[in-house]
Amino acid sequence: MPLPLCNAVTLEIVRGAIRAAQAEMEALIERTAMSAFIREKKDFYTALFDADGVMAVGSNVPVFGDICGPVFRDFPIETIREGDLYWYNDCYGSRGAVSHSNDQVFLAPVFLDGVRVAFVMGWAHFADIGGLRPGSISPDATEIFHEGVIIPPTRLIRGGEINQAALAIFYRNSRYPEQAQGDTRALMASVELGVARMREVAGRFGAPVLADALRQLLDRTRETVRGRLRGTFPVGTHRFTDRIDGDGHGSGTLRLRFALTRTAEDRFILDATETDDQSPGPVNFLMNPDVPGMALGLYFLGGDATQVVNAGGPQSLDEVRLREGSLLQPRFPAALGMRGLTMMRMLAALNGLVSVAGGEAPAAHAAYVIMLLRGTIGGKSFLMSDGLGVGYGARSFADGIDGVYFVAQENYPVEFLELEYPVRLRHYGLNCDSAGPGRWRGGCGIVREYEIMAEEAVLAVRLDGVENPPWGAAGGMSGGPGRVLVNPGTPQERLLRPLSDGNRVVRGDILRIETGGGGGRGHPYDRPAEAVLEDVLGGLVSAEAARRDYGVVIEGRRIDVVAMDALRSARPMTKAFHRGSYADALD
Amino acid sequence: MPSTEPRPLSVAVDIGGTFTDITLQDSATGRAWTAKTPSTPHDPSEAFLTGVRLVLETAGESAARIGRVLHGTTIATNLILENKGAPTALVTTEGFRHVLEIGRQDIPRRANLHAWVKPRRPVPPSRVFEVTERIAADGAVLTPLDEDSVQRAAEACREAGVAAVAVCLLHAFTAPAHERRVAELLRAALPGVAVTASVDVLPVVREYERSLAAILNAQVMPAVSTYVRRLEERLAEDSIDAPLLLMKSNGGVAGAASIRRAPAVTALSGPAAGVVGARAVAAAAGVPRILTVDIGGTSADICLMQGGAINLTQRGAVGDWPLPLPMLDMVTIGAGGGSIARVTAEGALAVGPESAGANPGPACYGRGGQRATVTDAHVVLGHLPSSLLGGRMQLDVAASEAVVMREVAAPLNLSLHEAARGILAVVDSNMVGALRVVSVERGHDPRDFALVPFGGAGPLHGCALAAMLGIGQVLVPPSPGVLCAQGLLSADLRAEFSRSVLPGQADLAAIEAGFSQLEAEAAAWFAEEGVAPPARSTERIVLMRYAGQGGELPVPWRGANAAADFAAAHRALYGFDLPQGRAEIVTLRLEAVGALPAPVAKALPQGAGAQPTATQAVHFESGTAQAGIYDRAALGQGDRLQGPAIITQLDATTLLPPGWVAEVLEFGALLLRRLT
Repeated sequence: MPLPLCNAVTLEIVRGAIRAAQAEMEALIERTAMSAFIREKKDFYTALFDADGVMAVGSNVPVFGDICGPVFRDFPIETIREGDLYWYNDCYGSRGAVSHSNDQVFLAPVFLDGVRVAFVMGWAHFADIGGLRPGSISPDATEIFHEGVIIPPTRLIRGGEINQAALAIFYRNSRYPEQAQGDTRALMASVELGVARMREVAGRFGAPVLADALRQLLDRTRETVRGRLRGTFPVGTHRFTDRIDGDGHGSGTLRLRFALTRTAEDRFILDATETDDQSPGPVNFLMNPDVPGMALGLYFLGGDATQVVNAGGPQSLDEVRLREGSLLQPRFPAALGMRGLTMMRMLAALNGLVSVAGGEAPAAHAAYVIMLLRGTIGGKSFLMSDGLGVGYGARSFADGIDGVYFVAQENYPVEFLELEYPVRLRHYGLNCDSAGPGRWRGGCGIVREYEIMAEEAVLAVRLDGVENPPWGAAGGMSGGPGRVLVNPGTPQERLLRPLSDGNRVVRGDILRIETGGGGGRGHPYDRPAEAVLEDVLGGLVSAEAARRDYGVVIEGRRIDVVAMDALRSARPMTKAFHRGSYADALD
Repeated sequence: MPSTEPRPLSVAVDIGGTFTDITLQDSATGRAWTAKTPSTPHDPSEAFLTGVRLVLETAGESAARIGRVLHGTTIATNLILENKGAPTALVTTEGFRHVLEIGRQDIPRRANLHAWVKPRRPVPPSRVFEVTERIAADGAVLTPLDEDSVQRAAEACREAGVAAVAVCLLHAFTAPAHERRVAELLRAALPGVAVTASVDVLPVVREYERSLAAILNAQVMPAVSTYVRRLEERLAEDSIDAPLLLMKSNGGVAGAASIRRAPAVTALSGPAAGVVGARAVAAAAGVPRILTVDIGGTSADICLMQGGAINLTQRGAVGDWPLPLPMLDMVTIGAGGGSIARVTAEGALAVGPESAGANPGPACYGRGGQRATVTDAHVVLGHLPSSLLGGRMQLDVAASEAVVMREVAAPLNLSLHEAARGILAVVDSNMVGALRVVSVERGHDPRDFALVPFGGAGPLHGCALAAMLGIGQVLVPPSPGVLCAQGLLSADLRAEFSRSVLPGQADLAAIEAGFSQLEAEAAAWFAEEGVAPPARSTERIVLMRYAGQGGELPVPWRGANAAADFAAAHRALYGFDLPQGRAEIVTLRLEAVGALPAPVAKALPQGAGAQPTATQAVHFESGTAQAGIYDRAALGQGDRLQGPAIITQLDATTLLPPGWVAEVLEFGALLLRRLT
């Protein structure tokens, strides 16, 4: 075997240098971006691609498809020059590489001595790009045209010349042009920095060594994921179905049906063609065929810091079958803005596939929740979009994570929210009894209770898993559902539809959002009683639920051992999965 | 200026895991004496006093001539990192007991969502208690404080058996009255329990981070208080009535009283002392701009300094926890002499963050270490003489060769020397990444700086790191392994006083008024520390951002110029500014310095020409060469060496590769220069 151009030592050094460049790009975006969406919620990512545009170092967020392909289609790769910058948010035009229009992609080539050696990407969710309602995504949308301006792949810079007209049109289409401008400048500066850093890396090691290093990183990830697929899935077809509650426009429950087949020839085929039809409401998830491989890759790579998430994940699947017109491959111009909940369910369904095959993937998580509040205060309009954490699924080695939104996205601190927006929080905490019981319990959801201080405002909310809460596995039970209430505990109490827009609220109204918990794993009676007691004392599990679900009897701050032993001696039967009740398979 | 102090002696005490090092210095003459005594982990104050007595005896000096006692302590750091602080409760606003547990509601950017486990909070939810009260964002009282609810919280704290309580109420940084009252009531109700109000530690916006700062402070308070009191008692026993000054994370020292109130400010005490020592060495050598790298057994701390100024950050962290107290802008990575090299199942070479620690330590220590460490790689390549610590420790070269061969060379199909060089290349590359963070990322070109490596392993890596960064000068301190003492002896008293400003609502008059208040706080602190007016100085800093941005930049306050100054700083750092953007002030910060008399530096006698004591084969990438081994203690001012050479001393070994020359400077530092 010939020695590789880049040996193991250099490979590790190149990997470290790329990681450092990525961290530097992210720090720049975080510190300079203008919209709260980016600066507090940190909804932005960076990635590096090889000279042909194949993702070599991505981020730990499994929602990326083939980012470079759409640019190359309109701007053939051989015409791309040093100093160019490309930009798009076109979901259908990128086949779901971007899956809702708020996400802007900025992509630039890296050249060394006239030779193209890499591409660098900066990506961020922009707070408002026009569309039906402030914030651009709305449960009311029924076409992508309702969700803001669409930017096809566009060459924004050539020969040092910025296409100012394109930017002017873009800013003019935003309700918050200053934020759009600040965020654009931050992303452009970040990509420019990434290009400079990658050029230094290429200069230090030489283009051929860099190319070989990126190839090896790809190969390593592909081989690892492939090996673990083989270790998990026996030859045959493995099926799993998961559900979302609906599209907010009356669709009722919608099903995602996955089948993973390993053929006798060791081909891996993921088939999602049995998934339900697309919906009028904006829950359609235009899934790039690279996404399921990226997501499975992320699961199989686990917490190993020496591994890199990249196109090796998608490359480990031989084929991905999607059906046009389905929820996962909608036809233009179906609305996509609320695809987040379907995407999160897709991730749970992939965990389900692993579980069905006997693997130890986490139980299901709830889909993170967003709310958008738009209104006026003192004659000035405002847009507040708040992300609420949920409970994640229990693992075979740990409880599910309590109260988190997603990777890399932070909350608005209470003090920050109250300084910047016309709301006051009355309560912000973990949602008691929302965690799916189990030997390892699911994570708890969140409760966030707002008092409206604006004269009036219109509320959009997206919360899923109310009718179909996140499933538990291996004896664990499903997580508790969330709900949205106005003026709870008063005669004016009303329950809002969990996926809805146009909800009018006025000054003094109390809005309470409770988010769902994750599914549990393992028999709840196997959970150590001390852990249950700690959860009760911490306000995460009620004493009634401790008795009912865990068989643990708590009196004051102590466990009643005699009563507990009596209860736990009659151990309920369990089955492979649980959603509301135990079942051998979910449908 | 020669000191005219009546009590010119300063004593600096650095307590390490194995030894306690004591330095006594006469600031009038510059003479210094050192002593070493075994540490006494059961009661560190024992070795502290033994050492002080020992050094006085060595110097033939009397305790009455001691003007101050300086000390850097890692007690708070270790308690935080190992989560071994006192059992603590948190008292917070009703409705918000889970804020700490939720944190910032994120899975970290570098974490894998399937594998990540939220770090256990220093206070579990079962020990968070609520009080009835509420303050609005503008400081108005929405719900008055219900003092009965405070008594109930006190009862719950008592029942939970905690030794410390942190109080963090919403918007207390704007209106602290409720929080102060709760703290007062808890102190009265819970005698002997350490109570910290968040505003006394960190009066800035963001409740999660402020809660954590208060908790970490409360949690280390009992141990630090006891420790400081023991030290003071010990000093009193020996009739030393000089003030005890402790090193803080900001690179300055402060008196025991202020440390007792806010012990969390010592979280980076140890590394800060080293950096301040490097600053003193650079000043003596006339080198204005330095990048410091402090390499120990398990980690490396990296810092940048220009013109002797200490850069502070409020984005610091200790272990898993953000701690936005002003601290040295330092980057720490998990790479040191004990870092373990391994080859993963997929054939990747990884070095650290796992470390062999002091026990068993690297294989070459002969204590049963079976993993290949960075130190073993140095041994394999001949970078270290076969005996260390002046002959008290023999290195087992064969053991190093065996582990590097088995753990790295064989699985990667590399030669022994290639594998050892590979381990060093990876660890050096990680350190270069961190050096770039503090330089390039902050808008500085590392080539304009001299590298100052210290810590036991620093001078072995100095030239390699410099070469990778294009740096031509490396300055090795006289005692690189025990630089803390030098830092303590050259530190000034420092404190910061901060106040959040409601964004966009501060006019010039309000800012002036805000600074005046901070100056009054500083004056009180100066008085407490006994700083004479001529030695006092303050600097007004504003932290600014464009309205909407998440990151702030510190800008010296020059009144109406602030917006232009900020735009210039933004351009320098990020490459652009926003002419249409609205620049706003977020925080006022007053940096207060009480100058302590600088010790007179003592020159080294002229050298008589360096002579090697032996030679040893060193395996460089360019080939194997015989390197002279030099005893640093025998070198004098002006002595010059040519690489390859190995310069040994008790506390560290310096590697001078081919193509580098070394010169002994007037005050004992070694200046290594790359020949072009």
